Amino acid sequence: MSEKVFVLGGEQTDFQRNWTKEGKTFMSMMREVLDDALEKVGISYDEIKRLNKENRVAVFVGNFDAEQYANQGHLGAFLTEVNPALFGVPGARYEAACASGSVALDAAITHIRAEDYDLAIVLGVEVMKTVSSSVGGDFLGTAAYYDKEAKGVQFPFPKLFGKLADVILERYELKEERFMDALAEISRINYANAKRNPKAQTRTWFMNKEHAMARGGDNNMAVGGRLCITDCSQVTDGAAVTILASKDYTKEYAKKTGRKVDDIPRVKGWGHRVAPITFEAKKQESVGDKYILPWTRQTVKDAYKRADMDVKNIDVFETHDCFTSSEYAAISAFGISEPGKEHIAIEEGTIDFGGKKPINPSGGLIGVGHPVGASGVRMMLDLYKQVTNTAGDYQVKGAKNGLMLNIGGSATTNFVFILGK
Amino acid sequence: MREIKTVTILGANGAMGSGSAGVIAAFGGAKVHMLARDVEKAKQGIEAAVASVKTDTIRARMIPGSYDADLEKAVAESDWVFELVAESYEVKEPINTRIAKARRPGTIVSTVSSGLSIGRLAKAYDEDGQKHYYGTHFFNPPYKMILCELVTHSGNDKKVTQALGEYLDKVLGRAVVYTNDTPAFAGNRIGFQLMNEVAHFAEKYADKGGIALMDEIMSGYTGRAMGPLATADFVGLDVHKAIVDNIYDNTKDEAHETFKLPGYFQKLIDAGKLGMKSGGGLTKVVKHADGKREKFVYNIKTGEYDPYPKFDITFIKEARQKIKDSDYKGAMDVVKKASGFEADIARYFISRYISYSLSLVGEVVDTKENTDGAMGFGFNWVPASAFVDFLGGPKETIKMMDESKIPVPKLLKDAKEGKKFYELGDKLDARSLFKG
Repeated sequence: MSEKVFVLGGEQTDFQRNWTKEGKTFMSMMREVLDDALEKVGISYDEIKRLNKENRVAVFVGNFDAEQYANQGHLGAFLTEVNPALFGVPGARYEAACASGSVALDAAITHIRAEDYDLAIVLGVEVMKTVSSSVGGDFLGTAAYYDKEAKGVQFPFPKLFGKLADVILERYELKEERFMDALAEISRINYANAKRNPKAQTRTWFMNKEHAMARGGDNNMAVGGRLCITDCSQVTDGAAVTILASKDYTKEYAKKTGRKVDDIPRVKGWGHRVAPITFEAKKQESVGDKYILPWTRQTVKDAYKRADMDVKNIDVFETHDCFTSSEYAAISAFGISEPGKEHIAIEEGTIDFGGKKPINPSGGLIGVGHPVGASGVRMMLDLYKQVTNTAGDYQVKGAKNGLMLNIGGSATTNFVFILGK
Repeated sequence: MREIKTVTILGANGAMGSGSAGVIAAFGGAKVHMLARDVEKAKQGIEAAVASVKTDTIRARMIPGSYDADLEKAVAESDWVFELVAESYEVKEPINTRIAKARRPGTIVSTVSSGLSIGRLAKAYDEDGQKHYYGTHFFNPPYKMILCELVTHSGNDKKVTQALGEYLDKVLGRAVVYTNDTPAFAGNRIGFQLMNEVAHFAEKYADKGGIALMDEIMSGYTGRAMGPLATADFVGLDVHKAIVDNIYDNTKDEAHETFKLPGYFQKLIDAGKLGMKSGGGLTKVVKHADGKREKFVYNIKTGEYDPYPKFDITFIKEARQKIKDSDYKGAMDVVKKASGFEADIARYFISRYISYSLSLVGEVVDTKENTDGAMGFGFNWVPASAFVDFLGGPKETIKMMDESKIPVPKLLKDAKEGKKFYELGDKLDARSLFKG
């Protein structure tokens, strides 16, 4: 499949912005990010009009919960509000909780692979600062089995991922101090990386290892079992766009923009698996397995197989660190370490910015921020930046192939994509 | 410049002192001597510092002390002495004399003054001390407002300036703006020009809506979270007076007359009505018996407080809607084409702001990115250069300035059409500063 789907680039909003405070909405966000993305990639609205006449372009909107956060559904149709050039362009909204961006990417990739369209605009968007954190926490509970896992629970997701931390600790018989130190190091790395990213939510926030280790008390409250504020990604407002293209269109595009097709990255592999929705069912199902999240591991394996690659071929990772425990589990799922030995990879600096297998040079969800429906698209954009050597201050030296893992729910919907040249 | 491991803060119990100390102890990981008039006050400063950056981890490396008992010892072991005592030569100069005696060669000394001459304050030091003496103008609250105007004077060494700038930027996470030793430096000179001239217009149009009308005309759609007069009321009319008086007395530029303090400001100051901090100034909020709060505004003509009015100005409503939809150029088109005296005033002040910001390049700062950074990071106002782009480029901006009879700065005359004029885009998204 690696000669079928190319990524031409894109753009994201500044995840530090609070659009409600600015008096703006999800709609203004979509307008800004799409205008910016097209300008950056060098595709005009006239070009979209031209492609649309031949039914060669489509749009895919990733969004989790605009109904509750913004009292608005039918987001797939909203790009027509951005510009009349998009009138008539096929478009729909895709939802898979925090993996909404990835399910939109998956649909776009599938359509291009099937040669239905030549150009796919994938836009992930979420406005979250419209409500208080406790109300938002309840909305997010619908990404779990609401009735069983979230109803009446304050901040259900930190609690679910706190349980993941408990299972990791018990199953692998880790020393608690060493494990919690490793989680703090994950937090430290993500915040430090985000400082280099001019679009990151936390780029001006204070955080270091010492603070991440100081769990408890008013300044780093416990929110889910062992997990404290510093172990969590933060909700924010944000949108991201990546633009995908067929080989034919990529050739046209390369000629027009004076680039070489070989310099434009392509989607080399993907994986998509859905685990049982409740955390308890996941836990039971994984008893006796080396991996606590076997379906996450399987998703990575599927992507490696399709790309004919292995962990040794991947230079950079973007992972779904909604919580430090989810990044911890991802380390072995990627094959960077054996399951149960993730802490060693962390201690040895393997996943650090300058390490052998850097994870989240962008800052990840913990550092960049987690506007739910936008995160998957943002990860793909960051892989694009890394493999085209355009990530600026957070560029991983010599990155040729990158892998992203985006999960919805408590590692329920798993999506992996591999991008490279 | 030596590595900054130990810092002394003088004025540790003030909002700026404790906030700055929090940033230095947290981001810089430094040991901080917190000095105040007495140890109890210094301890309060430590707690305020912890609260400002929300981390208990810094408490253990903050050491309380008093000027009388601890200044010399603390300064002698410090790599940076940051003085934030009261804003007057009378208070700062004797303290500088003490610091100068205790200071080791190579130690940075800086002040947070927003208006005093850095060169004059530096005179308390020997040659090495002068070389290492700076203005480090943090903004309040320091953790949230990341601007730092790094003010240099003729005695500085460029290598030390560069190293200090890098420390403030890379380690402390400040948005560093380099300014020359001129009255009020960049941010306040530009910001208070606009605020004070708007205050004059409020007097001129007192019978048409005065203070409230001017803030409506200069509201969020012109690229700021708070109206200029609400800002003056927020910082305090006494502080406002000190800043504009200093600029009026020590500068002679095209906007000189606009820095004269309006008579009604003085009247309010004399009556102790200093703004929000004193319970009332240009506006006041009254809490009724039923718990409802009502806002009032000072009537310049009558000297009474009237209920704060609502306005229904068509072009402002249209411009706000465009901003709400993220159509910034569309909003500026509305402003450019609108008729009526309110629109004339809006165009006048937008022109004045751009013109005055750019006119200071060469005198106060070396590049327009420095004035843009000062206004964007320090005041949360849309920077002048960004306005030029939203208005449709230099030609369109010049046309508006000409019609508003505002001088066109050379920088704008020389600007190339069709090229982005604003160059801080990756650091500061100016669109986020417009409010719909």
